[in-house]
Amino acid sequence: MSDTRLRLIKGTFDVLVLKTLSWGPAHGYAISRWIAQSSRDELKIEEGALYPALRRLEERGLLDSEWRASDTGRDARFYALTPAGRRALREEVAVWERYVKSFTRVLSARPEGSIA
Amino acid sequence: MTRRRDDDLPMSKRPPVDEDVRREIEFHIERRAAELVTAGVPRERAMAEARASFGDRAAVEAECRDIEERRRTTRHRASRLAEFRQDVAVGWRVLKKSPGFTVAAVVTLALGVGANSAVFSLVNRLLLQPLPYAHADRLVTIDEQHAKGYGNIPWPNFVDVKAQNATFDAMAQYGGGMGTLLAGGSALRVREAAFSQGLFDVLEVRPVMGRLPLPAEHQIGAPAVAVVSYPFWRDVLGAPASLNGVRVKGERDYAVIGVLPPGFAFNDATQVWFPLEVEPLEHSRTSHNRETIGRMKAGVTLDAAQRDLGAVFAHLASVYQPDFDATGARMYGLRDALYGSMRTPLYLLLGASGVLLLAACANLAGAQLARGSARAGEFAIRSALGAGRGRLLRQLVAESALLAFLGAVAGLALSFAILRGFTAIAPSSLPIASVSIDGWVLAFAAVAAVLTTVLVGALPALRLSGDDAGLALREGTRGTGGVSRMRAWKVLVAAEVAIAVVLLTGSTLLIKSFSRVMDQQLGFDPASALAVRVALPGVNYDGPNLANVMRFHDQSLERIRSAPGVASVGFANALPLAGGGPSGGIAVEGKPADPNFGSTGYAIYRVVGGDYFEAAGIPVVAGEVFSSRRSLPPNSVVVDQAFATREWPNENPIGKRMRVVSMDHPRDFPEPWLTVVGVVASVRPASVTGDFRPTYFMDFHERPMYRVESASYVVRTTGSVTAIASVVRNAMRAVDPDVAIEAAPLQDIVSRSVNERRFTMIVLGTFAAVALLLAIAGVYAVISYAVAQRRREIGIRLALGATRGRVRTMVLGSAAAAIAPGLLLGAAGAIAAARALATLVYGVSPSDPPSLALALAALGVAGLLSGLLPAVRATRVDPLLAIRMD
Repeated sequence: MSDTRLRLIKGTFDVLVLKTLSWGPAHGYAISRWIAQSSRDELKIEEGALYPALRRLEERGLLDSEWRASDTGRDARFYALTPAGRRALREEVAVWERYVKSFTRVLSARPEGSIA
Repeated sequence: MTRRRDDDLPMSKRPPVDEDVRREIEFHIERRAAELVTAGVPRERAMAEARASFGDRAAVEAECRDIEERRRTTRHRASRLAEFRQDVAVGWRVLKKSPGFTVAAVVTLALGVGANSAVFSLVNRLLLQPLPYAHADRLVTIDEQHAKGYGNIPWPNFVDVKAQNATFDAMAQYGGGMGTLLAGGSALRVREAAFSQGLFDVLEVRPVMGRLPLPAEHQIGAPAVAVVSYPFWRDVLGAPASLNGVRVKGERDYAVIGVLPPGFAFNDATQVWFPLEVEPLEHSRTSHNRETIGRMKAGVTLDAAQRDLGAVFAHLASVYQPDFDATGARMYGLRDALYGSMRTPLYLLLGASGVLLLAACANLAGAQLARGSARAGEFAIRSALGAGRGRLLRQLVAESALLAFLGAVAGLALSFAILRGFTAIAPSSLPIASVSIDGWVLAFAAVAAVLTTVLVGALPALRLSGDDAGLALREGTRGTGGVSRMRAWKVLVAAEVAIAVVLLTGSTLLIKSFSRVMDQQLGFDPASALAVRVALPGVNYDGPNLANVMRFHDQSLERIRSAPGVASVGFANALPLAGGGPSGGIAVEGKPADPNFGSTGYAIYRVVGGDYFEAAGIPVVAGEVFSSRRSLPPNSVVVDQAFATREWPNENPIGKRMRVVSMDHPRDFPEPWLTVVGVVASVRPASVTGDFRPTYFMDFHERPMYRVESASYVVRTTGSVTAIASVVRNAMRAVDPDVAIEAAPLQDIVSRSVNERRFTMIVLGTFAAVALLLAIAGVYAVISYAVAQRRREIGIRLALGATRGRVRTMVLGSAAAAIAPGLLLGAAGAIAAARALATLVYGVSPSDPPSLALALAALGVAGLLSGLLPAVRATRVDPLLAIRMD
């Protein structure tokens, strides 16, 4: 069975994580579910890869973490955006939007005369 | 307040790293499986699927663990740093809140650290830092030991010792003094010296420019060459790029062939060096003219070298007896030779500044104790809010460290000023100008600051850990003190008082000793007299021009004598206190003479001109002396009392006869008999505390061979000594514009010879004064505090009818009780310290009871006086207010 899902462009995963946490603190499983659902499972994400990414973001001071009870009563490691994380998200989103816009513009452009 | 974060928790309350990582991932897999189970997948398959979709769990866990470890370490470090910053910030706020205490503390510390750094920089430069010569530990100055004392090694002995010893790599002689040179068209007074071949091998110094004299240039008849110091080349010669054709004229016309390295300041920074062996040197084995310096072979000890040279001298003695009077060698390490006389004083001052710092620490620690009790409430509250005892301790230490840092910085600044002050009072033998605040001194100040932090911070910290924080809180912020705190403080005050007693006793001793020194009969009168050193340039005055010397002096004397403000003028080949001056053999008529030389003994001689005795204020005891007013018969001689007493005890010396015996002259050279015409008082030849030595005086007109082209004039004036200097200068310049002149009040020569004593006395006296102030401040603070603590008690006593006089007596009594142990301790300390002073005092016993009594009395009175103000304040307590307080 071949996987037809999209491979993620390097470095964009962090933005998705930050974006997910912008709705409020969440544990790793919730984050991975949220990303999967909101992308309608179109993105190919290794579930395990989320955790080193989370901890790296935490190390960079963009996230905070805390062990507390989850909805099922079991303790989970909850992550939350720090003010620095919120700032980073804003910047990354802006960059991403510019990127997409330029990319789309090139792809949809037609040559006026010959390009050769 | 920000959200509570995991990192705020102590490390122990956070899950360990592996558990943290494992549990997080377990949670993920189980939630995923649970979800699949809800969707209808059997439990077993759900778990397998959840694990599969997670990926490589082991690798992910390992990566997470790494990141987490790293993060925790950094966080930990950062939080420590933040805590430290916070401690310092809080400390700063606390210090700012009580500016009085802070300023007092910083000033106290600055005094302690400043005094220590300044003295240490001297000790470091003079006694600890290596001398600026290669392998300086192998350099020694060598003297001959005689039956009575020691002296320079005569040239023939030097040649033999140099050739026959087995323990030296190199050995050389050098000697010189102030001379006059014509360089660049003008006459200059310069420090010049002649040196024997190999001096620069001994010192391991090479010229930075040009070359050293060749062996052939150290021979009789060689062309005159000279090497010059770097500053001389730069400032006097004008830093020529080439030495071609550069010449200086002194006794001869020298070609300058080399420039010594900058910083080379050997032999009191001699400026011009020339080879010694170009002229015939003395053959006498009993005439002592030049210093000898040697470089011991590597691995040879001073003792071994001493034994070696002793053997050589013993051998020489067996060969050359009786024309030989050395019994052995006497050697000093170069540093001892240079600064030996300042070693004890400097270490004494270093010790004194050290105990001064201790006194400063005691003062601060006492103040901290008092604040500590006032702040017990503050700490109790912080402790109740969750600050650990360690944290509170760190807080206290941070405060002390902050104080110590401020004190050290202020102290270093102060030590610059103190060093500058030293320059003004230091003996000229100390190269103060080259003493600076270097890395060693900074390190020393840092150590002093750390020590202070420990001493000052530790006490309140110990107190803190002994206190029950809860108790303090219940007692409120009133801070009832506590008996043990008062006791600790009183111990500190006693220590301060003791230190002050020791320093005060020491400085009283030195002051007393100094006044004894100054009371010494000098034998001459330095007041209102000017000393003028003049050296006639050898090129114009030497050899065939010897008559010029005579003419110069006659004309100069004439002109100066007739100048306004001059009472009398004369000159001699050497002044009193100038270090003895030349001496030689004599024969006294009617005494058994040495069969080989015909001499009956030695004496210092002086060749004088003009009204020397009158100008120098040397009293005439009997007969007549040389003067400008009347001439004495030819071949007259004047002797001093020491001479007369030695040669003709209980006889009238007038009319007795003696003659000069010179070993350098052929034995049949007929020296005339000289008749004693007068006796003068003896003068101190070398130092104020030195012995009188038999001296005789001759008229310079009769002794043309005694070269007096370098003479010291003494001008006694009716007016100001400094004003007369230019008059004398102009008079001499009118005779010969090319002579260089150096004028200074005769009093300066006396001062210079007691400079080391004066320096030690002033510095120790200053330290003692500071220690006294610290003790006064300490007593004042502890008594004020005690009064403040006992306000309520005093109020009750007053309310119950105690008179104000009673209250005052009570407070003064407690002051006395605080001082008394310090006085006892100080007396014991002063007696113990007396030994350190033994070599420094003159004419007074180092354990002089009156000095100790004076110091004790001063401390006692000062202590009681400083208790007086708080005592008076205590009597002003309003009983009603005091009782209602709190």
